[in-house]
Formats: sequence, structure tokens, C-alpha cells
Amino acid sequence: MSVVAPLVDVTLRGLLSRRRMILLILLAGLPVLVGLLVRASGGHPDAGRVLDTLVVRTVMPLVALIIGTAAIGSEIEDGTAVYLMIKPVARWKIALAKTLVAVGLTAALVIPSIVITGLLLGSGRDLTTVVVGYAIACLVGGSAYAAAFLTLSVFTSRALLLGLAYVLIWEGALSGLLEGTKFLSIRQATLGLAAALGVNVPGSSPPLTAGVSVLVLVITLVGALLLASWKLARFEIRGGD
Amino acid sequence: MTQPILPTASGAAAQAAPAPAEPTPPNPIAALEVDHVSRWYGNVVAVNDISFALGAGVTGLLGPNGAGKSTLLHLMAGLLAPSAGRVLVAGESAWRRPAMYRQVGLVPEREAVHPYLTGMGFARLNARLQGLPDPDAAAARAIAAVDLTDAADRPIGTYSKGMRQRAKLAGALVHDPRVLLLDEPFNGLDPRQRLHMMALLRSMAAEGRTILFSSHILEEVERVADSVLVVYAGRLAAAGDFRSIRRLMTDRPHTFTVASSDDRRLGSALLADPSVFGAELVGGRLAIRTADYDAFTRALPQLARANAVTLFEVAPTDDSLESVFSYLVRR
Repeated sequence: MSVVAPLVDVTLRGLLSRRRMILLILLAGLPVLVGLLVRASGGHPDAGRVLDTLVVRTVMPLVALIIGTAAIGSEIEDGTAVYLMIKPVARWKIALAKTLVAVGLTAALVIPSIVITGLLLGSGRDLTTVVVGYAIACLVGGSAYAAAFLTLSVFTSRALLLGLAYVLIWEGALSGLLEGTKFLSIRQATLGLAAALGVNVPGSSPPLTAGVSVLVLVITLVGALLLASWKLARFEIRGGD
Repeated sequence: MTQPILPTASGAAAQAAPAPAEPTPPNPIAALEVDHVSRWYGNVVAVNDISFALGAGVTGLLGPNGAGKSTLLHLMAGLLAPSAGRVLVAGESAWRRPAMYRQVGLVPEREAVHPYLTGMGFARLNARLQGLPDPDAAAARAIAAVDLTDAADRPIGTYSKGMRQRAKLAGALVHDPRVLLLDEPFNGLDPRQRLHMMALLRSMAAEGRTILFSSHILEEVERVADSVLVVYAGRLAAAGDFRSIRRLMTDRPHTFTVASSDDRRLGSALLADPSVFGAELVGGRLAIRTADYDAFTRALPQLARANAVTLFEVAPTDDSLESVFSYLVRR
């Protein structure tokens, strides 16, 4: 596994470009900003609702989308991925290293956002349950998102667009209309896991059960890693002519 | 001189092209073997039934844009699956076998190199991914070999095109590969760097490595390569020592300029020889056209002696790689 370290190193350095990091920090800071505004305006703070609306439905998938699609997709796009492919390194190790970085960076941005926003808006004995519940659910859910979007970027150069369509159309618009879509929704599985951890998840329909939620998230995470490994093992780089 | 292009077991390389004048016996330890390889994208055939084998030495891969050179290099580098046939490196398939990269180094044509890494950092990354025991020392050696030590600690994003090219080469050399594949390696290099890279390739070949590089700059190929592979429209048009290929193309006129003690008398004598079909005085020298290289080079000294003419200079005028390549492409 000694080759995973340089892979993680180069992936992190590639992801931590100034522009991308500013965008990600602004995105992750959005719930905190809203929390501050609610506090300042003297409104009725509801940590659960803000975390559900802003973090689970917006910030987490978008952060995971930006990081997941860039972790290897940007290298495939600009041609630097070839230097990783022409090494005596099993391709699943490349997929694993990239996924570890995408998962870790997504968690590093989303979890502090949840904790700070929760502390700003929460109060009483439910605060710990809400913050810890969402933090754990988003750790798993964000990992599933990041892994899924990373895999998408191995298959297509339009991963960012397709990922956005998945979040906005499949999980956003269609989930309210078609009940069955929630079994193929990382968001619904994340909310189901949060509910299982004691969080009172807002919404008209009951969340997925704990078992189904964990199953959906684990299958997404492991399946994405396996698919990315499979595709990278057969990955072709065309010549210029 | 080393003859790195070897006949394959099936002899298909020789069928696809004018055969080398003196075929080398089959070499069981060919570092790189391309065996009836084709690659197509939908209806487009990029590489069409190409076969050859390479041993130690420098080989130039020539062909116009779109001929299939990069596709062929990527097939050999295990970055593309052959649609038909097989590519073997040290006797084992190149496709889906990452362990092969311990023996193979590739310098891709695309300029992109991680811009946030320094030259030394890039070489070190390659050394670490190769699993070398002392990546720092290996990286320093590779950087020194490509003459990039002075700029080794600068980010690659600040490099000139030539410096990036050398950084890519350092990354490919860091594990001391047996086979080195280079796609347009002279692009962006200044004349001094070109000479340095030529010397480097030659010295590596002298150590027994197999080096294959593509280039459009024919003079450079001629100066650095022992042999050439000429690719046109996805097919192997010729393979072997380019001068040997040139001599084998008997249906193509060869021209020589001759300086002698009596050009007119020699010209008349040569015109009577069946190997010569044209002789004229141009700029004070005799220009001869012949369709049979070997017969002419045998007949010329005999005719000169028989007519008491002293030969001062005999020079082929069109034996450049450029003319060979142009002819093969037109054919």
C-alpha cells in the first residue's frame, strides 16, 4: 500500500487549488452564514431544519460533486492521469486513493459546517442529538456522494453536469413526485440514517428505515469503488492521431 | 550498426514493407513485439495489421499527421487495447498488465504535467509510484540526466515547453526502464537541448535499451535512429535501416552527383550501361539517375577504370530520410 501515499499526496495537491478551495469554503460556510443571520435577526432558530435544507440537500451533495468529479476527472481531462496509469500500480489502488481523498476532503468541509451551524442555532438537550446525528449521517452520505461522483467522472467527461442533474432533478424534483426514487437517492438514505440516529427529520413522507439507508449508502460507496476500479483497469488513453 | 527491427515469428513485418537487405535471425528476447496489431474506432481504422519486433537500439517512428503513430505508441504503452493482434513487452501482453511499467517508460506527446509540482517533485512522484527503494536519489539522477538540475526546484507551471519536455523525460527515466517510448520528444527543445537529448537517447541505446520515438523532424530521426518504422494511413509502409529500405525500392530513381577527371567521357560510358537511364552535366558536375542502386555502384568504378577516368567524388543526392519518407507516402 506504499504507493497509496504518493497518490493521496498528488491528488490532494491537485484538489487544493486556490480557486476551487475558495469556492468550497464559501459553499461549506453558507449554513454558518445563514445561522449567523438567523441569530442576528432574532428569528426562531431551528438547527434541524437549517441542517436538513442547507447541508443535506444542498451543501453536502455540491461539495461532494465538486471534489468527487475533480479528484480524477480533472486529471483525465488535462492529460496528467497518464502518469498515474503508466506505473506498476494496480488500478484499484488508484481508485482507492482517489476515493479516500474525495471522501476525506468532503467530510473535512461538511462536518465542521454542521457542527458550527448546529452550535449557532441549537439549544437544549436535542442539540447533541441533532448535531451528532447529522454529522454521522453526512459523513456516510457525503462519502457515498463523493465516491459516486468520482466514479461518474471515470466514465464520462460530463460528470459535473450529470451529477448536478442527479442532485437537482432526480433527488430534488422527482423525489417529491415519485415515491420509488427514494430507494435510489443518497439524500434519502442520508436522511434515513439521521432519523435512525434520533434526528427528527422534517418531511411529508416517512424516511427510509435504518437498515435500508445503511444498505443504500454502503452499496453506493463500495459499488462506486469497485466500478471505478473496473473501469480504470480498462481505461484507454487515445493517441493524438 | 545495431539492427533493432527484427523479423517477427510470422515474418509479417517484412511483408508489410520492403524487407531489410539482410534480415536478422529471429531474436527470442525481443523487448517489444507488435504482432498483427489493428486498432479501430467504430468504422475508422487507426492502425491496420502492423507487425514488427524491436531489440536494443534507437528506432524512429515516422509518418504524417493522422498516420497512426501515437495510436501505435499508446498500444505499445498498454494505454490502448488492440482490436486485433497483440503487443508483447518482454514476451508478455502490454494490455492490462501494470507490472509491465517496471520495464517501460513513456513520454507522452501531451504537454500537461502537474503544474503545482516542481521538476524534482514530479520525478520523485514517479519514483515513489515505481516503488523504488530510494526515490530521492533516483529522482536526482533522472533530473541530472535530462540537464534540469538548475530548475529542479521550480514549479513545472513556470517551465518553458522544452523544460516540461525534459521533466516528462526525467519522469520516464527515473526507474531506468528497458524500453523507452517517446511521442514527439524533440518538440519545444532548443538546438542545444536537442543535441543533449539525442546524445542521451544514443547512450541509453548503447546500454542495451530499446528506444522508440516518433517525430516529424526527419533530420533528427536520421541523426539519432538506427532504424525507422514508416507508418502511413495506419499501415506499416517500411521498416528497417532507412538506407537499406531506400536501396530496395528499385522502382524509384536514385540520383548521384559525380566529380571526375572527364565528366563527359564518363557520362557517355554510363549512359550505355543498363543500370543508368539518365546522365547530364549540372553545375560542373555529372548528375546520374539510376533505377538499380547496387548495379550502378558496382558498374561505376569499373566503367571509370575502363575509360581511364579518375573519380574525385561520388555522392547520392536524394538519400535523405525526407526523400525516402516522401516517396513511401506517395506510393
